Amino acid sequence: MMDVERSRHSMHPGSSGSGLRHSPRETAVLIATAGNGYPKKSPSMPNFHEKPFTSTNASEPILNSNGLPVSSEYVADNSGVQSLTDGDASLSVIEMYGDEVESRRPENEDGGNLEGDEDADSDELELPTSGMPPTGSAMPNSDYFDRYGFKKQSNLITEQDYDEWWENYSQYCIRRKHKWKILMEKSGLPMDNDSPNRFPSRSEKLKRYVRKGIPAEWRGNAWWYFARGQEKLNKNKGIYDKLLLKMDDLLKSKTKSMPDLDIIERDLNRTFPDNIHFQKETFQIDDPPMIKSLRRVLVAFSLYNPKIGYCQSMNFLAGLLLLFMDEERAFWMLVIITSRYLPGVHNINLEGVNVDQGVLMLCIKEYLPEIWQYIMPQTSSKHFSLNNGTSLLGGNDFLYKLPPITLCTASWFMSCFVGVLPIEGTLRIWDCLFYEESHFLFKISLAIFKLCEPELIKLKPLRNGIGKNPIRGQRGSQMSNGESEMEVFQIVQTFPKQLINPNELFDRVIFKRRFSLNKLDQDEVDRCRKYVSSQRLKYKHYSEIMGTGHRNNNNNSNNNSNDIGIASSSSNSADGEKMAGDIINDALSSEVYGFKKGLGGVHWNNSIKAKVKQMRKKKG
Amino acid sequence: MSSARSGKSLTKYKIVFLGEQGVGKTSLITRFMYDTFDDHYQATIGIDFLSKTMYLDDKTIRLQLWDTAGQERFRSLIPSYIRDSRVAIVVYDITKRKSFEFIDKWIEDVKNERGEENVILCIVGNKSDLSDERQVSTEEGETKAKVLGAKIFMETSTKAGYNVKNLFKRIAKSLPEFQESPNTGVKDDSNENNAGVIDITTNEEEQQASSCQC
Repeated sequence: MMDVERSRHSMHPGSSGSGLRHSPRETAVLIATAGNGYPKKSPSMPNFHEKPFTSTNASEPILNSNGLPVSSEYVADNSGVQSLTDGDASLSVIEMYGDEVESRRPENEDGGNLEGDEDADSDELELPTSGMPPTGSAMPNSDYFDRYGFKKQSNLITEQDYDEWWENYSQYCIRRKHKWKILMEKSGLPMDNDSPNRFPSRSEKLKRYVRKGIPAEWRGNAWWYFARGQEKLNKNKGIYDKLLLKMDDLLKSKTKSMPDLDIIERDLNRTFPDNIHFQKETFQIDDPPMIKSLRRVLVAFSLYNPKIGYCQSMNFLAGLLLLFMDEERAFWMLVIITSRYLPGVHNINLEGVNVDQGVLMLCIKEYLPEIWQYIMPQTSSKHFSLNNGTSLLGGNDFLYKLPPITLCTASWFMSCFVGVLPIEGTLRIWDCLFYEESHFLFKISLAIFKLCEPELIKLKPLRNGIGKNPIRGQRGSQMSNGESEMEVFQIVQTFPKQLINPNELFDRVIFKRRFSLNKLDQDEVDRCRKYVSSQRLKYKHYSEIMGTGHRNNNNNSNNNSNDIGIASSSSNSADGEKMAGDIINDALSSEVYGFKKGLGGVHWNNSIKAKVKQMRKKKG
Repeated sequence: MSSARSGKSLTKYKIVFLGEQGVGKTSLITRFMYDTFDDHYQATIGIDFLSKTMYLDDKTIRLQLWDTAGQERFRSLIPSYIRDSRVAIVVYDITKRKSFEFIDKWIEDVKNERGEENVILCIVGNKSDLSDERQVSTEEGETKAKVLGAKIFMETSTKAGYNVKNLFKRIAKSLPEFQESPNTGVKDDSNENNAGVIDITTNEEEQQASSCQC
């Protein structure tokens, strides 16, 4: 540990203060292109040239470490500005044409038929044998790893599947990049040796471009730009370095005041073990640079925000960021993600997770009622149950006792879909997250559920069949509910993992106007989050007032579970508590969240307090 | 609950894996499911769900395996899903005393949710191949298992593939017996007592089905 930290300082490049290790060549690039006010940094981590197998392209080792069917134009990008523009010129006619076609069709502004405008220019590009690495830079591992160093193969996707898909998708990426270049030129923005720092101002067109994917080589800078990272950094200059010094001090003094350190340490090697940049070669004694960076970012964060400290899933957020930007930027992006986009989600009590899952459930109920019937909690169906005295009915009790599926979807939010979808899909989501903010996470979640529908429909006969069976009756239908709950869980968990083509998700849902879920916007999500968190808080308070206390005593070793467990507990407890549960639920259910264009606004029911007070008096 | 279903399909049992982060829960499941091992598995966030069909004697059962995130703050998310599991496997790492001390908390969670009688508790000391780094002796593990009322205690090595199959075999064997005596306070000994009406029905169906096939 100590050695690692010391070596961190030794690799300080001096002026940049970022803890980056630059090759001489990169430093040259930095000097050449710095001049726009930003500390110029390579869009991807420059550490990897240390890897024996990524020796050829020092400046952009990840993205060239292969996979991109490197066109002559693409190779030109690396060799210098001069040939870059040449490459552009040769393609600009096609590009201009394609773009005009796009802009002439207003129906495409919010989606429309993507295939159309993709097809418009798909055949004209002169690309050498696609999917093949350039002959000059043979990468021993390129057969097994993608352009970011991730293993192509997964449990659900074979290498062959990947290669077949990539042959097309890589073409798509190249086409998109050309379009971006045209857009940049039109906006008068410099491409800075294929590492632009500034991007066009916000517009519907830009949003569409972002949704179709930011060029991989530009991602780090684009995310940083759209998330207003520089603003954050400017306000906090020097903080990251101070945090690292603090970390060193703590490690030297060997105080035990860093409980997160051990936990972080244990997750370092469990962050992208399938990615070459995170793997330790057998002959290496020292941790790979990427792991060292990851350690520093996570420890610095835990010192910066003790309220969160370290929460599993942040290792994946930081890890992915580090593949696209330097440490200091990755650190601030992690700060931005955990505060602006996912407030409270990584806090010690994980309440933000519960709130977001409540919001997601409300959204599914509102926008995808056809899906809601599969994940609707069982308590709602007990409305018709004979043996259930409590009225934990249809209302909003699922906001307190979240349906089981939320244990699957919680990780979607915590890790921003890292590991949920194959990597290219995750990156597309991140593009949109930083441009459109957190509501996009909900939108994409809804899109995944929507695409699951054909699978879910297959479950229907099971549920109906048993439900209709007069002999089995109530018990039978309950069992089938529990049963299908599992199957729904399995489908929803597995489906996105095999969704190799991100365009499927985007074209079939996000870009389609007829899906009402596209009405969901940031304002709605913000409002909904407020509603859910206040409902959950009220529920907690009411429960305390109404004295479900004795159960809490049984459980006090287990205090965290109360929040979620209470709703169900009231169904098992004594009469008085049943009544209390009734009142609480009636009261809270009467405060219904109204989606825009739904049933009006949020109705706050102040009479509940009076009701509850009355109950309390009676009880006393 | 979810463990039983109508005769035509397999009896399903929910098994939840608990324990501190990095002790080898995912690794244990992977060894059992695919008989493979990697040095590092991606950290589990939230819960992963897998199911596997198991043949034992003349019976076939379906195990639903719930892999959980180990970090302490995730405990708050998990309890409601422990509620209806038949088996709770609490894993510790024999080279990390802290992970051994931590199992009390997990067991407490299980007992709070499920009651002592309704769940088969298993305690598993993993990484037994790393004997040089051992911090918890086998005897200590056994003692603790007894104190905590765990029905099964085992040391495993997912790396060497040691005892993993045995573990699941033992769990499976204890299942039907356990089902038949849900209220008789089974703890350390496996009683083959009387009947829970519900479960016997499914067992009979199960047996009939298998005898027909023979």
